[in-house]
Amino acid sequence: MDFSLTDEQRIIQQTARALFSSECPLALVRAAWENPEVARPLWDDYLVDWLELSVQPLADISLFMEEYGRALAPGVYFASLLAAYAAGSVGEQASGPATVAVAAGNGYWIPNEEPTKHFVPCAAQVQQVVVVSGSQEAPRISIISTEQLGIHEVDQMDRLRPQYRVKVKGIDRGTEISAQAWQQVVHRALVTASAELVGVGRYLLDSAVAYAKERQQFGRPIGSFQGLQWKLVDAALELERAAASVAYAAMCVDDNVVEVAHAVHSAKLEAGSAARRCARTSLQVHGGIGYTWEHGLHYWLRRAYAGDAFMGPSEYHARCLADVLFAAWRAQ
Amino acid sequence: MKLAFSTEDEVFLEELLSFLEQHCPPEARATRDMIGSDDVDAQGIMIIPAWAKQWQATLFDHGWMIPSYPGELGGRDATPTQTLLYLEALAQRGICRSLHFGGYAIVAPSLLEFGNTQQKALAPAAIRGDTVWCIGMSEPGAGSDLAALSTRAEDRGDHFVVDGQKVWTSYAMVASKCFCYVRTDRDAPKHRGISLLIIDMNSPGLVVRPLRHITGQAEFAEVFFDQVKVPRENLVGEMNEGWRITMGSLAHERGGLWVEGVAGCLRAVDDIIVMVKRMGLQRDVGITTRVARLYSQARSLRAMGWKGFASFAQGSSAPEHSYMKVAMSELQQTLYELGMDLQGCGLAITDPTVAQEEGRWQKAFFNSLAATIGGGTSEIQRNVIAQQVLGLPKG
Repeated sequence: MDFSLTDEQRIIQQTARALFSSECPLALVRAAWENPEVARPLWDDYLVDWLELSVQPLADISLFMEEYGRALAPGVYFASLLAAYAAGSVGEQASGPATVAVAAGNGYWIPNEEPTKHFVPCAAQVQQVVVVSGSQEAPRISIISTEQLGIHEVDQMDRLRPQYRVKVKGIDRGTEISAQAWQQVVHRALVTASAELVGVGRYLLDSAVAYAKERQQFGRPIGSFQGLQWKLVDAALELERAAASVAYAAMCVDDNVVEVAHAVHSAKLEAGSAARRCARTSLQVHGGIGYTWEHGLHYWLRRAYAGDAFMGPSEYHARCLADVLFAAWRAQ
Repeated sequence: MKLAFSTEDEVFLEELLSFLEQHCPPEARATRDMIGSDDVDAQGIMIIPAWAKQWQATLFDHGWMIPSYPGELGGRDATPTQTLLYLEALAQRGICRSLHFGGYAIVAPSLLEFGNTQQKALAPAAIRGDTVWCIGMSEPGAGSDLAALSTRAEDRGDHFVVDGQKVWTSYAMVASKCFCYVRTDRDAPKHRGISLLIIDMNSPGLVVRPLRHITGQAEFAEVFFDQVKVPRENLVGEMNEGWRITMGSLAHERGGLWVEGVAGCLRAVDDIIVMVKRMGLQRDVGITTRVARLYSQARSLRAMGWKGFASFAQGSSAPEHSYMKVAMSELQQTLYELGMDLQGCGLAITDPTVAQEEGRWQKAFFNSLAATIGGGTSEIQRNVIAQQVLGLPKG
């Protein structure tokens, strides 16, 4: 088991970091909250090319997504990447920005025949939707133009990645794929989402540590107080554990090992919990200033919670992991 | 990043496994991490049985005691990755190398780094287990604040005279030598007045009093020094430079410990899964989800250890490793506590004829309570991480 980065992986990491630090400042994040269209140039000029990552090893994608999450890059890239995985399972490519519609009302990525798909990210900002229907055993994939679909928005926590209800009644039934092929799509999507959450956690933790070093009370930096130090250490520990778990899961998916489901559920549950922990800790360390709208910390906090919930919160993946661990015995 | 190991590493592992198959005695395989050292006399005081002496010597003679060392030091010039594979293979099987880790894990590397030629020559016997060592660090007034130690050594030219007391000294009752930190300059700042002496445990004026653990057994002791004469040539490194060696000693102690700790956690999770099934609780979602979360923690700690190792091997710092001790020791306690909780009211019963698995969970739990105290408390670990990894200002 070797976690060392290759030269190419190091380049991906550094290029991504440089890209987001120059092209995705906090001002863009703020503006995108009011108007998603402002993120269009970031997509047109840069991120559309990075979609080529979708056919690369997940280990590489994870490195990019961690930087993406750290920057909280607004726009359609995340949804389009997931759409590329799903379209790839039938040998297709979506043209232009796209998303995936799978979930019934519970939000889990289990193929079903419901006429309305829920929690579809960025549906109103993309041109195509990869609709997944059928059943767990016999999933079906069709790629549909958004013009043919009814799209409804609801008020929600994270408006930087809005999720929509999409009416898919009467659309073309598409192509059947194997349960294994679908599993692969789900695993790739879960690890991608987990890697992003690790990046979100990193931003939240790093900004809290920086603030704790700088903010003075009682004549000294608040970061010198043990109560605050331990809080930050515990968040950092959970985040490092999550980062390792995501990197491990990425390698497991790339190598298609026997216990890949264990690793993937573990990664999503660790990443979701860690991001949420970092969000709460960061807000607490920032105190009143972090609670203001203007400060902007809340954008990452929102993503930590909405990102954990996407494709099932950590509690759900803990149950999935329990199912895998105890499956053979439950059946007896 | 890749999961597969190289062919050379796979061959290395096969050689190790066939060696273990041939030579490892059953006593060394008894899932010792759960039970701790059961090798005690009628009074509950630690002894080193013949099989343990024999086993450590066999490991040394076959180059399997510390694989990264050259042959004459009980190794085979193994790479760092191979060393990790070795530690993991042993830990997964619950195999211990030695009942006293001070000699091979702390004394030998410190002597090899800081000792003179004669002192370096003591290393092979320390690694082979022919000489049993204890480490004189903690004192009644110097626990977490180790640098506050006050056992003093007075310089009398060709010898030192040592007075004072050490405590929590593991293996003192079976050791023939003590690697002892003493104060040689009372006027210097506390980190600058410490020196390191090799003290013969048979010296006149040295008394060992075993200390019983909360488990009922005695593996560590108090050591009293009353006008103990120590020859000058037993000074290791320079006068008043002992603190630098201490820091090295603690690093040596922690180097590979995470592998054992993580393997112990993973085995405990596996055993809990078996117990849940045996008790017919596998449909209780509350319990199975709790187990799944702990499984996930243990697995991700293993990944974190290997990830830290990769940065370390590539020459970067490995913040991951600073987190390992605190994470593992707390996870161990949680796991053993769950193992007891599953037994309901039976939690309080330790009679081997009645308790689940002969009371091993209760025993393991009591043992694990030492893990967040010894070798640097969890609280000190958190302070160190806050200041050295996160770069927060000292309180």
